[in-house]
Amino acid sequence: MQRRDFIKTLGAAAVIGAVIPTMSFAADAPKGPNAFSYKQALDTITGGKTPVKSDKIHLKVPEIAENGAVVPVTVEVDSPMTESDYVKAIYIFATKNNNVRCVAMHLTPANGKAILGTRVKLGGTQDVAALVEMSDGSFLVNSQSVKVTIGGCG
Amino acid sequence: MEERKALIKIKPKSYADGEIVKVDFMVMHPMETGMRKDKKTGQIVPAKYINSVKFDYNGKIITSMNVWESVSVNPVFTIYMKVNGAGNLKVTFTDSTGEVNESSIEIKPKG
Repeated sequence: MQRRDFIKTLGAAAVIGAVIPTMSFAADAPKGPNAFSYKQALDTITGGKTPVKSDKIHLKVPEIAENGAVVPVTVEVDSPMTESDYVKAIYIFATKNNNVRCVAMHLTPANGKAILGTRVKLGGTQDVAALVEMSDGSFLVNSQSVKVTIGGCG
Repeated sequence: MEERKALIKIKPKSYADGEIVKVDFMVMHPMETGMRKDKKTGQIVPAKYINSVKFDYNGKIITSMNVWESVSVNPVFTIYMKVNGAGNLKVTFTDSTGEVNESSIEIKPKG
């Protein structure tokens, strides 16, 4: 009996040992109270539609940011901004932050130009992405990588 | 409730009716993520960040924003706006602890 129990525990230990490493290496799963992944954010906003990569979005971000706490980001979208054709929303994501969402801006034709400028925190070297919703319901996306020398979170 | 220092700047300073102007909105706010530890006490600083900004021009909301903690300390938001008659531009901002503040500027087109 004792021998049998010993083998059982040995087997259980082997299983746990096999599971734990896969868990800890499981992608770069975000943690924390307000964690939100890039894919999760995209799916929530687009409702499963795949955004099209577009050159209409001009994303201005420094290629190398010395200080991750303050990274200026400007998103400009080519659009006439008329009642029939305008940019409905601009979203900025820091794809590897704990909570990827930075700003969601909802525009109206009264803006005249579809531009959003702000400053974000980046936890490390990553891509900054801009998702744009047009008035006809289509989604455009563009991204650029930013090298961060000193992280800005924590 | 703490009074927040906020500033709205319109560029260019002098503009005509119908012109598209740049609006810079700056606010002094700590934007705590809720994940940072205080180095002295070792305690986690509770989250406190601006989560909503609304631009109201003559009673009509022209732009609204949802904001999360990934935005920098003392945030700056730049938008563009079409001047449509004299009036008032009011910015209302709310933070995650329920603090509501507002700041406004008079819109005076030339000529």
